[in-house]
Amino acid sequence: MSMRLFELMLWAAGNTILLSAISILIGFVIGLMVCAAKVSANPFLRIPGTLYVSLFRGVPLLVQLLLIYNLLPAVGIMVPSVVAAVIGLSLCTAAYQAENLRGGFQSVPRGLLEAADMVGMSPWKQLVRIRAPIAFRLTLPALVNEAILILKASSLVSVVGVIELTRMAQNLSASSFRPLLFYSVAGAMYLVICWAVAGGGSIAERMLRTGSRA
Amino acid sequence: MQKRIFLKAVLGLSVALGVSFAGSNLASAQDALEKVKSSGTLTVGTETAFAPFDFIDETGTHAGLNVDLFEEIGKEMGVEIKWVELPWEGVLPGLEAGQFDMVAGPATITKARMERYRFLSPVAEATVAILKKAGDDSIEKPEDIAGKLVGSGKATAQLAQLQEYGATLPEPVETREYVGFNEAYADLAAGRIVAVANSLPNIAYLASQQPDVFETVLPPFGKSTYFGYIGTKKPEDQALLDAVNDALLKIKADGRLGELQKKWFGQTFDTPEAVTDPNV
Amino acid sequence: MTLDFGLIVQNLPEILAAFWMTIWIWIVSNILAVAFGFAVATLRRYGPGWLGLLLRLFVEVIRGTPFLVQLFLLYFGGPFIGLSLDPIPAGLLGMTVYATAYYSEIFRAGYNAVPVGHVEAAECVGLTRGQIIRRILVPEMTMLVLPQCVNMAILMMKETAILSIITVPELTLVVGAIGSQQYAFVEAMFLLALFYWFLVEVSGFLGRIAEARLSKFRFAHS
Repeated sequence: MSMRLFELMLWAAGNTILLSAISILIGFVIGLMVCAAKVSANPFLRIPGTLYVSLFRGVPLLVQLLLIYNLLPAVGIMVPSVVAAVIGLSLCTAAYQAENLRGGFQSVPRGLLEAADMVGMSPWKQLVRIRAPIAFRLTLPALVNEAILILKASSLVSVVGVIELTRMAQNLSASSFRPLLFYSVAGAMYLVICWAVAGGGSIAERMLRTGSRA
Repeated sequence: MQKRIFLKAVLGLSVALGVSFAGSNLASAQDALEKVKSSGTLTVGTETAFAPFDFIDETGTHAGLNVDLFEEIGKEMGVEIKWVELPWEGVLPGLEAGQFDMVAGPATITKARMERYRFLSPVAEATVAILKKAGDDSIEKPEDIAGKLVGSGKATAQLAQLQEYGATLPEPVETREYVGFNEAYADLAAGRIVAVANSLPNIAYLASQQPDVFETVLPPFGKSTYFGYIGTKKPEDQALLDAVNDALLKIKADGRLGELQKKWFGQTFDTPEAVTDPNV
Repeated sequence: MTLDFGLIVQNLPEILAAFWMTIWIWIVSNILAVAFGFAVATLRRYGPGWLGLLLRLFVEVIRGTPFLVQLFLLYFGGPFIGLSLDPIPAGLLGMTVYATAYYSEIFRAGYNAVPVGHVEAAECVGLTRGQIIRRILVPEMTMLVLPQCVNMAILMMKETAILSIITVPELTLVVGAIGSQQYAFVEAMFLLALFYWFLVEVSGFLGRIAEARLSKFRFAHS
């Protein structure tokens, strides 16, 4: 594989990383909102929240992407390929992240909150000082896991016209008739990215743990 | 539990209804030509698995007749070309959704498609022929594919012609539908299928590039057809398509298209100014 | 655009066949992958060190690459090393290998979650390793891993959609092709979303029943 082709693969890998990172961040924000809606006592929030999680976890990402790309324009919202890809990945990961967050918030020890009540902490302060930090630490492993899943799931966004690592490998193996080479290189690049994310995740976990002890 | 399922059903239904309302297309219809002129870009949807019209070459560059020809069209119209590359099955839906101004492809001009889309002046012949593995003696003429497994592109006119032709043979042809023609070629090389049905310019190009792997079976079996670029029939798109078509006709008349055909197919095709009554 | 679901009625036989294709590939690959995943986890725990390392590498590589890339490598790269599989066997093999890696991780966590004291007690009363696995580890672990196995099986249901790319005639390929032929692209996508949602909800429901049954069983005998 010539240097130029390798650079093209690297560029495509960059797209994969960028798309995934943006989607994970947006998905985290949406996930927080969905999580809040889902645990809300108000049925007008709870039911849509529950439905959201069920729908976006129940429909393959491939289908979600095609629907977003071809449906939103019909209601007058133009979505360029990259935007459609980010929307699709974000909405999908938000459903999973909402569930992770819900698990995290529910695992915050009750005793801590009762103690906070005793010392007269307001609910808002409890959220900021106690529930959110603990829940975040508890869900960090799940978040890292989700980031890896989205990195891999981004291999599907070529259906809406975005060129990322998998599509590049597909294109180059078609023109060179060397699928083994290009798919192996793509696979190796995914591995490096995923392992880097996993490694970064465990470092962050360790740092948070020491932070909590200090 | 039952209540939850009921609620889900209701919400699911309302989503579906919402869509059909939205589908009545309330989007404001801005004239496409004005939009293209003011933004200075013509957005073209295409599939890069259709050598020599549109493909990624060994250096990873987007190349082919489409790229060269649209560059000329862009010059004529004074606009830049912006390419959107999709798997073929997503190209026509994308066009209908308004994701691009028009589609390159090109696509075989057929009766069914003409009812739904507007074709510009044809750019090449599209008659379908058979590609086989080099040196395969079991297929010497098109009818030899009887009873065999032949691949073609999913949702393509070539597949439709293969199926129609296959049904006329003493033993029906078994077909396998691929997301892109490149995958079909790869499967032919791997021996999973014995032949690929695609338009003659495509497979002749492939056989000339990889003579020890592929071979064209002559004559073409399909009815005589042409390749054309595609737009919608929406009123707001017509002025733009007229402008592109005028540019295309000019490029055809002054011999530039002939040169490009020579460059990519090794020969020129006589194509009519417009196809009004396609054979298929 | 209006949604025309006459699409389903006109093409009912093809759609049903595609449903069946999706479901049987899903069931067979998951059963195989649970068995292989258990074997991988067990070998990593009790097998020789070099094998453990090799299996760990296998699991990490499979979990670190997209299913789509694995499938492309198997289907389009395979013929270059003499492995030329037809779409359905390739799809089945790809799904099984992919899911095996994930199930093996679930079982590995399951093994680790069984209290060490139980195993030590079993060793004290003289049970062999095989007996310990069969009588202590597997029954105790089943309850722990079942919810995750159900979750994994549901994830795999959606992964079957990717098999369409190597021409396995399952739901996505067939419904997509019908949509393309009749220019009913959006309707086809909606149908697909509904079909998968339905399949996922049904399998989730069945999984919850299985969990409830098993927990009852466990309490009755403990």
